[in-house]
Amino acid sequence: MHESWADILVTSFREVAVRLAGYAPRVLASLTLVIVGWIAAAVARRLTVRILRAADVDGRSQRWGVTSGLGRTGIRRAPSDLVGQLVFWVIVLIGMLMAIEALNVPAAAGLAPVVIRFLPNLLVAIFVMVVGWLLANFLAQALLIFIVNAQLAGGPMLASVLRWLVILFAASVALTQLGIGREMILLVFGIVFGGATMALALAFGLGGRHLARRALEDWFRKRQDRAPDDMSHL
Amino acid sequence: MTDTAAVIDLFTPASLDTLVAAGPVDVVAGVHVVNQANHVVDVLDTVASALDAYAPSRRSAVLVADAGSQDGSPDVVRAWCDSRGPGALGACLDLIAPVHRGRAIGALVRAAQRVGARGLVLLDADLTGVRKDWLQALLEPVLRDEADFVSPAYARSVSEGTLTTNLLAPLTRALYGRPIQQVMGGCAAMSGASIGSCLGPGAETGDWQPHGAEMWLTTTALASGARVVEVQLDRKLVTPGGPQPDLATILVRTVGPLFALMEHYEAAWLDRTATEPVRPSDPVQVQPDTRSPDVERMVRAFELGLKDLLPVWEQIIPESTLRELYPLALPGADEFTLPPRLWARIVSDFAVAYHERRLPREHLLRSLTPLYLGRVAAFIVQARATRLERISDIFETIDRAFEEEKEHLVARWR
Repeated sequence: MHESWADILVTSFREVAVRLAGYAPRVLASLTLVIVGWIAAAVARRLTVRILRAADVDGRSQRWGVTSGLGRTGIRRAPSDLVGQLVFWVIVLIGMLMAIEALNVPAAAGLAPVVIRFLPNLLVAIFVMVVGWLLANFLAQALLIFIVNAQLAGGPMLASVLRWLVILFAASVALTQLGIGREMILLVFGIVFGGATMALALAFGLGGRHLARRALEDWFRKRQDRAPDDMSHL
Repeated sequence: MTDTAAVIDLFTPASLDTLVAAGPVDVVAGVHVVNQANHVVDVLDTVASALDAYAPSRRSAVLVADAGSQDGSPDVVRAWCDSRGPGALGACLDLIAPVHRGRAIGALVRAAQRVGARGLVLLDADLTGVRKDWLQALLEPVLRDEADFVSPAYARSVSEGTLTTNLLAPLTRALYGRPIQQVMGGCAAMSGASIGSCLGPGAETGDWQPHGAEMWLTTTALASGARVVEVQLDRKLVTPGGPQPDLATILVRTVGPLFALMEHYEAAWLDRTATEPVRPSDPVQVQPDTRSPDVERMVRAFELGLKDLLPVWEQIIPESTLRELYPLALPGADEFTLPPRLWARIVSDFAVAYHERRLPREHLLRSLTPLYLGRVAAFIVQARATRLERISDIFETIDRAFEEEKEHLVARWR
């Protein structure tokens, strides 16, 4: 017996309604998780910023050159704000993951545990990159000032090379921490670093032997000309 | 920290016993030594004979603090102390680590306080040209109760002491309103009252240690409003007790403490506007140069700095000041100029950046080197075109430039 058009329509609506009714709590739970996560993140951000400000992290960052280093890259926010933002988005991300898990979507099944397991590594990698970047700037600046004060040319280039070497090293450590192509990164870094050193050694020792000798002689002569300083400054 | 605790913290038990045994002493000559085994006996003989000649009726002592000698200086000093006759007080004080020049100076001041000295003359044993009459000149105003702090002023050649004449002295004068020729002269005399005021709370914990201890004593006297007297001595002859640091390190060790003391004594200088003369306000005695400094090399250093250090200077010096620097590199070395007004502005920019910790302090101070060399080059070029008797006018112009800059400095420092 054929169903009537109306029966089919009613059945479909009923099935959808039943399914929606079965799914609604999950959606509601998911929405609740997002909202609660967002609120918790905002509270945590505010708390973090207050604690960091009370501990004078902004002042210390200024003294350690972190603020000026951030400023040079266009980041004008206070370090306490930046950490607050990081805390906010980490908690929001966790809330989102829980919300997705609550929806019980087959495609996203098991996503949350994987991401949450990955999160500490991500935070460590970010920390390594930040420290590496600060160290790179500090060392590059120290080298630049030293070279200019020694009245040698090529300071900016050498400082830039040093900065990128340190950043590359930090990046390779961070990627290793994330487990991305661990062996490959170690291999590539080893080859690039070792290769560059070898190439420089060969170029210096063979190709540019005479040039290197002249450069070194010039350098020593200039140093001898300069020392002792012929002025009494005090 | 109490005075007793501070003394116990500084000296070894044997040295403490020596101090206690010395009992009350009227006048102390405190000599700090680093690697001067070959010269220290001559210096100590001069000091002892000066005390015998100029303070015969007072109980006096020669106290020596070794600041980390590696050449056996303490043994030489001990032998010298032993060789003195009975009744002559002399001792080599051993310090508890860390041992450095600043701690040795602090220890001598503490020791003078401990024995109740009414007068202390401090002397760096590197000052091998010291004479008996110098010590008389330093001590007399203190013993006559005419001064709390007596600072030396030396006769110098044009290009001698350029860091003092172009930065340390003019900035100190502008800040504390007291013109003084030497902020770290290698010797000084202090009254009992002055000893007490410089050992106030927080005295030995500042950033000026270990290299700015002399500057700390001078600045404390100026900032506290003590009666400061300057005495004119001859040429300063120094035999360094070790290899001399490079210029950038000299700047770190001198300008660094000066800026650190600006922070420590900001209450004393921020609102001070008037300049009071220091008695007697003799003009700087300038003698002709015996050597010819290489101005061309200094200008090259300045130009290299302007080319390569700009990213560092941009964090310290505002764009308006930097714009005035760019054209300076265009003329040749013989016409090079860096006017005192611009120099004073640069120094004040560096002081503010130091105060605000815009970059690591050692980097900041080291990056001043090319600018300082530029200023020295400009000063020498100007001095060569000026008659010797008019050189003191150049110093006066520099002093005035720093005084005029002070208002701007104060506004940005607050």
